[in-house]
Amino acid sequence: MTDPRFELVGAKPQAEAAPQKMRRHRPPYSTAVLLALIVLPCLLAEVVMTRDPAYMDLAHCLVAPCREFIFGTDSLGRDIFSMIWYGGRISLTVGFLATVIATALAMIIGSLSALAPRWLDALLMHITDILLSVPSLLLVLFLQAFFRQNSVFTLSIVLGITGWMGMSRVVRTEVLQLRGCEYMEAARLMGGSFFYLLRRHLAPNFIPSLMFMAVMQFRSAVMAEATLSFIGLGLPLEVVSWGSMLSLAQQALLTASWWVVVIPGAFLLVTLVCVTNIGNHLRKVHSHGERNL
Amino acid sequence: MNQRIFQLIKRLLIVIASILLLSVIVFTMSRLAPGDPLIAYYGEQAEKLSVEEREWAMERLGLNDPLPQQYGRWLKQAAQGELGLSYKYKQPVMQVISARMGNSVLLVGSSFVLLCVLSLLLGCICACYEDSLIDKLLRRSGIVFSCLPEFWFSLLLILLFSVLLPLFPSSGAHCIGRADSIADRLHHLVLPLAAVLISHAWYYAYLVRNKLCEEVRAEYVLLAKAKGLSRLRILLWHCLPNVLPGYISLMVLALPHILGGTYVVEAVFSYPGLGALIYESARYHDYNLLMVLSLFTGAVVIAANMLAQALNERIDPRTAGINTEVSYYD
Repeated sequence: MTDPRFELVGAKPQAEAAPQKMRRHRPPYSTAVLLALIVLPCLLAEVVMTRDPAYMDLAHCLVAPCREFIFGTDSLGRDIFSMIWYGGRISLTVGFLATVIATALAMIIGSLSALAPRWLDALLMHITDILLSVPSLLLVLFLQAFFRQNSVFTLSIVLGITGWMGMSRVVRTEVLQLRGCEYMEAARLMGGSFFYLLRRHLAPNFIPSLMFMAVMQFRSAVMAEATLSFIGLGLPLEVVSWGSMLSLAQQALLTASWWVVVIPGAFLLVTLVCVTNIGNHLRKVHSHGERNL
Repeated sequence: MNQRIFQLIKRLLIVIASILLLSVIVFTMSRLAPGDPLIAYYGEQAEKLSVEEREWAMERLGLNDPLPQQYGRWLKQAAQGELGLSYKYKQPVMQVISARMGNSVLLVGSSFVLLCVLSLLLGCICACYEDSLIDKLLRRSGIVFSCLPEFWFSLLLILLFSVLLPLFPSSGAHCIGRADSIADRLHHLVLPLAAVLISHAWYYAYLVRNKLCEEVRAEYVLLAKAKGLSRLRILLWHCLPNVLPGYISLMVLALPHILGGTYVVEAVFSYPGLGALIYESARYHDYNLLMVLSLFTGAVVIAANMLAQALNERIDPRTAGINTEVSYYD
């Protein structure tokens, strides 16, 4: 096995493979720090902000980054530095709420499907399949068209009820494995209700493998919020979020004011990359989550 | 032979049932939507109608009937190709769509084909040089690229390549009056295509790489190596065919994501395709148009899923007869 030509193909020596595995499972500390550097100021936006993010200083429209306006101002004269933190909080809130709603729905539908009679199971999974096959943004768009006035709450609900499908598959597979366990039968014989079973016996078992999916759901919810707000179907311009800040970006292109385009997007991108890294770490730790897709 | 025909019929029935179910969902949602449905038929004049006229119009259009009956009638009309009027364009929906279909087919089709090629290529390169600098570099940058929101990436491309360096046009499918020029159309296609490809290719390449790396550990690879075959030949002739069926179904499952991504990119570049249309119709509450577009997209995806299964059976006959339903009861 010392021939260099064997390095690529064929079995790797155990000793060589083992330390690599250890390294891979190290928690992503640097990512966590970077994420905290973005999330904490967002949570404490009032402390960090240098001026009112909603105040339109019309004397200073589209000012390039300078000492007074660290990240410049947008075409409405709002200070981008303050908006980043204030808007970040709203973007992250939407992502978080949407993830909570989607996870709750997935847990209920997935375990219901696994515990229900066969025909109901098949029906639920067929519906899940069909919903999964439609581009999710389309579903969101469809629901979104019905809300005349969007708020953080309605947007989170819409993103939540369009994001449960993938997770419910995982939950279902996990519950199918747990269904036959003796403690489940005992609990059922003693008259435990569906929600009791879910809370007491099922959820603690499948939550670890669901974590990766939930984190990825958070990521796609944040991304969907930005996309929708950008297109004008998400949060309105007055509700500052990373997405609604970018909805001014297309105009800004005409005047080549790059900071309006680049800065909110960069924050969005760094957050998403951090979240993905953490999600990947979770997946490696509980590696059977993906197999149950 | 008999069984095969039975399978085929069953599969067709599933496709039809799926599309019908989708249409029920879409129809119910569009009818539950707030807003005056008469506006969809008569435009702004509907607001000026008197109470009696409204009643008469509602009766005539059958909007007072229960929902299932309305759905039945809509289905009957849809089967005859009458899908209603678009509120915004004041034209039959089909006419609006067919005018833009070609552009979208061009963009989605070319990005899908290129994406398949590119991700396979990148995946092979990474698997070939596993854990080398190239592999690591591609993997790292891949995570970043797969996190790029398409719309923002498109904006960046516009900023870089049409505002700062005026190389490519920032919007449209062709210059005014040059609709026939292929070169001009391609010139307009470059940036949207790049946006779709770069934000999607990585994810699929990564999956290909992982599959190939797993495959390379198999025993038969060792044998092939012992026979003296080159690394590239083993990878391409022996490993790749084993990975391919999984890859094909993966790419077909990727179709909704790619469609969704292309739709966003179209909207940013104001590329006159279905995607830009879909966002427009959602923004203007043009339900008829939105309904047909959603249904159309869904149908394409469902059909593609079936195609993937058929292709897989061709490549690997072992998967024949195993359909998705069965795997639910594992």
